[in-house]
Amino acid sequence: MTEQTLSELAAAIAARKISALEATDACLERIGRLNGRLHAFITVDAEGARARARALDADLAAGRRRGPLHGVPLAYKDLCHVPGLPTSCGTRTPEYFSSEIECTAVARLTAAGAITLGKLNMTELALGPFGDNPHHGDVDNPWKAGHVSGGSSSGSGAAVAAALAFGALGSDTGGSIRLPAACCGIVGLKPTYGRVSRAGAMPLSWSLDHLGPMTRSVRDTALMLEIIAGHDPHDSTSSPHAVGTPSAALDAPIRGLRLGLPENYYFDGVTPEVRAAVEAAATTLASLGARVETLRIPDPAGLIDVAGILARSESSTIHARIVRDRPHELGAAVRARLEIGFHVSAHDYLQAGRLRARLTRAFVDEVFGQVDALLTPTIPEPAPALAAATAPPVDEIVRRMNRFSRLTRPFNALGLPALALPAGFTADGRPLSLSIIGRPFDEATVLRLGHAWEQASDWRARRPPV
Amino acid sequence: MDSSPPGRAVQREVQADVAALAGAIERMAGDLALGEEPSNFAVALEAGAPRD
Repeated sequence: MTEQTLSELAAAIAARKISALEATDACLERIGRLNGRLHAFITVDAEGARARARALDADLAAGRRRGPLHGVPLAYKDLCHVPGLPTSCGTRTPEYFSSEIECTAVARLTAAGAITLGKLNMTELALGPFGDNPHHGDVDNPWKAGHVSGGSSSGSGAAVAAALAFGALGSDTGGSIRLPAACCGIVGLKPTYGRVSRAGAMPLSWSLDHLGPMTRSVRDTALMLEIIAGHDPHDSTSSPHAVGTPSAALDAPIRGLRLGLPENYYFDGVTPEVRAAVEAAATTLASLGARVETLRIPDPAGLIDVAGILARSESSTIHARIVRDRPHELGAAVRARLEIGFHVSAHDYLQAGRLRARLTRAFVDEVFGQVDALLTPTIPEPAPALAAATAPPVDEIVRRMNRFSRLTRPFNALGLPALALPAGFTADGRPLSLSIIGRPFDEATVLRLGHAWEQASDWRARRPPV
Repeated sequence: MDSSPPGRAVQREVQADVAALAGAIERMAGDLALGEEPSNFAVALEAGAPRD
């Protein structure tokens, strides 16, 4: 049962072929069996999930369907505030973090009928792309033990890949949805900045944070996006743009869509397997009628610098209290990254914000004047061994972090929708991933292209050996 | 902040990182228009959205 996609399960529950309690128990059984190795969950709410499942089954028996996710078990990154459950943000602080505001995205999924299984492990304070966590255990890669699961939404990636949950929420400030999606062989969407409310989720950088879905199919991601998107009075950056129903347009032909492969930056230093996987996807999409062309894109190096100033300033401001009062509670690399922000001047911060506006305008005009979407690798190399990625010294760890996330970070600065999805496997069984990036608020086109690729390939049928 | 020899080394590295970032920003920002402001980022996204 847990091998089904979220959409398939929702349909089966609606048709009363499977009960919400059966689906919930199946997930809880897998969590009980596999979480000791994977460390995907920090908090499991078995009692709450079962009670909710029973209530939803009773509702359905009485002819009441709450919404499109009626009875579907989901789980949430442990920076989403959920009533009744603790929120650690991946830290070991005994007080944990709290908010008077419930995470809007979780509330919307719950209103649509979802069941909360629990809270998912993450890199400490969402700072780091490898999925290691000194307090709650390193999240292991379900495909290859001892390898990076990707971060910071590492538990979300591993839980969905290993079928401990049918879908998850992650957050993405520099790649934290897409990197674990890539390492764990699932689908992850960083929506357009402003598309999904961040209210009720721990901020890391107000200018760069995004919340988004992580699932086992593009259709599932489209469905979750439709539910969580939309203006929220609790998030001043949330946009009034209507998301529509991208899931209804997934099967529309992609013939004539213009797809760009960047000539510069995005293939520099990537491994041959990664390059070959993305080029193979481009060939497949061309065979389906897309017009694939290569193009030079505005150099993302400037965007990386802009994002660096914004992220460091904002994250050190947000977490100033823990860094100054209880630095011993933080890992060395996290502490080093946060401390940098105390040294950034207001002048540089504001100049970075002004530059971001200009660079975004130029990128959108130049790139999307030529193509409808970009196709790039998500990670420059398949998931490396965790011990190698996190080996000291600290400055070398930070350099490895920056290298590993160099392909995802520019799209946080640009705020563009970016979908990571499976693109094959290495000879030793590690997932490969490609990204599709679209115009602002054009998740529909990105998802349509992703769905076309997914349908034309058979990667989604493979399951991790757990 | 830690002032032990390794701590001072990290501090020096931090300051060098910030200086490098600030230098890069300053080089790019030299010809920014007077009217450019951070909130224009959201305007750029809205302007780049597909026409309904």
